[in-house]
Amino acid sequence: MKQATDKKAMLTDVEPKPRATIVWGTALVLVALPFVISVPLSTEILIWTIFGLGFNLLLGYTGVLSFGHAAYFGLGAYSAGLAIKYWQVDILTGIAVGVVASMLLACFIGALAIRRRGVYFAMISLAFGQMLYFTALSPLKEITRGEDGLTHIMATVNLFSVSLDKPKHLYYFVLAITVVMLYLTWRILQSPFGKMLQAFRENEERAKACGYNTTLVKFFSLVLSGLYGGLAGALNTLYLGYVPLTSLFWLTSGTIVMMTVLGGRGTFLGPLVGVAVFLFLQNTISLFTPRWELFVGAIFVVIILIFPGGIMGTLREKYLSRKMVKLQNKAADFQ
Amino acid sequence: MISDIPLNVILMQLFFGLALGSIFVIMASGLSIIYGLLDVVNFAHGAFAMLGAYVVFCAVSLSGNFAVGIVSAIVIVALIGALVEVVLLKPLYGKDPLLPLLLTFGLAVAIPDVIKIAFGLIGKAVAYPAAFSGATKVGPLILSNYRMFIIVFTLAVLISLWIFLKKSDLGMIIRAATQDSLMVQVLGINTSRIWTIGFALGVGLAALAGAIAVPMMSATPDMGVEMTMGAFVVTVVGGLGSLGGAIVGGLLIGVIVAFTALVAGEYSNVAMYFCMAVILLIRPRGLFGESGRE
Repeated sequence: MKQATDKKAMLTDVEPKPRATIVWGTALVLVALPFVISVPLSTEILIWTIFGLGFNLLLGYTGVLSFGHAAYFGLGAYSAGLAIKYWQVDILTGIAVGVVASMLLACFIGALAIRRRGVYFAMISLAFGQMLYFTALSPLKEITRGEDGLTHIMATVNLFSVSLDKPKHLYYFVLAITVVMLYLTWRILQSPFGKMLQAFRENEERAKACGYNTTLVKFFSLVLSGLYGGLAGALNTLYLGYVPLTSLFWLTSGTIVMMTVLGGRGTFLGPLVGVAVFLFLQNTISLFTPRWELFVGAIFVVIILIFPGGIMGTLREKYLSRKMVKLQNKAADFQ
Repeated sequence: MISDIPLNVILMQLFFGLALGSIFVIMASGLSIIYGLLDVVNFAHGAFAMLGAYVVFCAVSLSGNFAVGIVSAIVIVALIGALVEVVLLKPLYGKDPLLPLLLTFGLAVAIPDVIKIAFGLIGKAVAYPAAFSGATKVGPLILSNYRMFIIVFTLAVLISLWIFLKKSDLGMIIRAATQDSLMVQVLGINTSRIWTIGFALGVGLAALAGAIAVPMMSATPDMGVEMTMGAFVVTVVGGLGSLGGAIVGGLLIGVIVAFTALVAGEYSNVAMYFCMAVILLIRPRGLFGESGRE
C-alpha cells in the first residue's frame, strides 16, 4: 500500500507542467498550416479547435459531459449571423453578440441542470440541444429561415475597412483569435480556478468536504465553455457566409465529443490534435463513401475500447511510465 | 383557445396522446432497466428501436404476419444487444463511468449508417396488421383500432414485466442486483450474466417500441434519434431508474405532445423539452425519482 502512495506521489512529480512555450509553439505551427494543407480545411481546424478547447475545459478538466454543445455553437452562429444581417453591425460586434448569447444560454442550462449527476446532465443537455434545433426549424422559421439555414448574411467581410474576403486573410484573423483562446485556456488551467476544476474531477466529494462550492465552480466552467462554443459558432458564420441548420443538430454535439475524446480529454493539445485527425478522417472517408458516420463511429468505439485516453492521453501515459522507469533505475543505483 | 375545441376532439387527442405515450413508456422502461442494473445510460437505445422497426419490416415482408414480426424484432435485437454487452461494454466496467456512455453514443452514430447501406435512405412502410386496421366508433369518438391495440398491448407488456420482475426467480435476482450487485455476487450468483440478460431485456423493449411504432410512422434510418430523445425526456421527467416514473412520465409526455400538435402544430416537437425544463425547475429529481439518485 505504502509503495502505491509513493508511486502516485512520484507520478505527480514527473508529470510535465504545460509551459507557455506550448502556446507559442502551437501558434508557430498554425501559422505555417495553410501552406501545408488547404486554406479552408485549416480554417475549419481552427474554428473547431476553439470549440474543442472550451469543450475540453468542461469534459476533460471538470469531468462534466455535455451532449448538447451544438446549442452554444449554433446559437453563437445564428446570433452573430442575425445581428450582422438585420442590424448591419460590424463583424466584431457580431461575434460579441454571438458570444454573449451563448453565455446566457449556458447560464440558463447551468442553473437548471448543473447540480445533477453526470448522466443526468448528459441527457438534459442533449435534450436542450434538440429543443433549440426544433425551435430554429419550425416555430422561428420566419427569422431563422428553417431548413434552408440563414443565408445572404453579408456582402463582404470587413474588419476596420480591411477586407477579409480572401480565404487566407480570414484564416489569419481566425488564427489570431485562436492563439488568444489557447493562451487564455493555458492561463485558466494555471489559475487557482483551473486547479479547482481538476480537483473536482479527481474527487468531488473531497473537494466539497474541503469547503469548496463545487456547483458554483462547475457552473462557471460551463459558462466559460459556452463562451468558446459561441465564439466558434460566430467565426463559423464568418467563414461560411451562412448558418446551416445542422449547426444546431445533435450530430454537431456528437462531433465535438468525438473530436475531444479522440485527441485526448484533459490534455492541453488534445482538442487540436483530435480536431485535425477527425477532419482529416472525415474528408478522406467522404471521398470514397457518403457513409462516413459509420467509419467515424466505429473508429470512435475502438478508441474507447483500446485507447480511452485518446491520442495525446495515451502518449502522455507512455511518456510518464518511461520517465518512471528511469527514476526507479536512478533510485536503485543510488541505493 | 382550448375552450373553442369541441369535447370529442379533445378526447380524440387524449387517445392519440396515450397511444404515443405507450411507445415512450416501453422505450423508457427499457432504458430504466439498463440504467438500474449497469449504471449505463444507453445512448443507442433509439438505434436499437430502429433496428427493431427494420426487423419488423423484413419479417412482415417475408412472412406477412405482424405477430411474427414483433417476436422476431424482440428476439433478434435482444441477441444483438447481448452481443454488444459481452463484446463492447464488459471490458469497460470498473473503469471511468463515462466510457460506456461514450461507447453507446458511438454506436448511435454508426448503426444508422449500416441500415442506410443495407436499405437505402428512404423509409420503409409496414401496413397495419389486418386484425387492427380501420377504426371503431365509440360513442361520439372514432378510434383507430391499431392505436387501441397499442394501448392495450403496452398494458399487457407492463403487467407481464411487473410479474416477471416481482415473482420470477430471475426477476428477483435482477431487482437484487439493481440494489446491490456485490451482495448478489457474494451469494454465488453470476452477476456478469445477469448484466448481459438485463441489457438484452432493455434493448429488447426498445425493439418492441420500434416494432409497434412502425405501422404508424414507417421505419427510417434516422428515426432512432427522436426515439432516444423521447425516452430521455420521459426518464428525466419521471425519474431515472424508476418504472413507475417511466409509465407516468411517458403517458404525460405523449398527451402533452398530442395536445400541442392540436393547438400549436409547429411547437409539437418543442413541447416535450419545454415540459422537461419546467419539471426540472419545480422538481429537480423528476416526478418519481428517489432523492439520493439525483
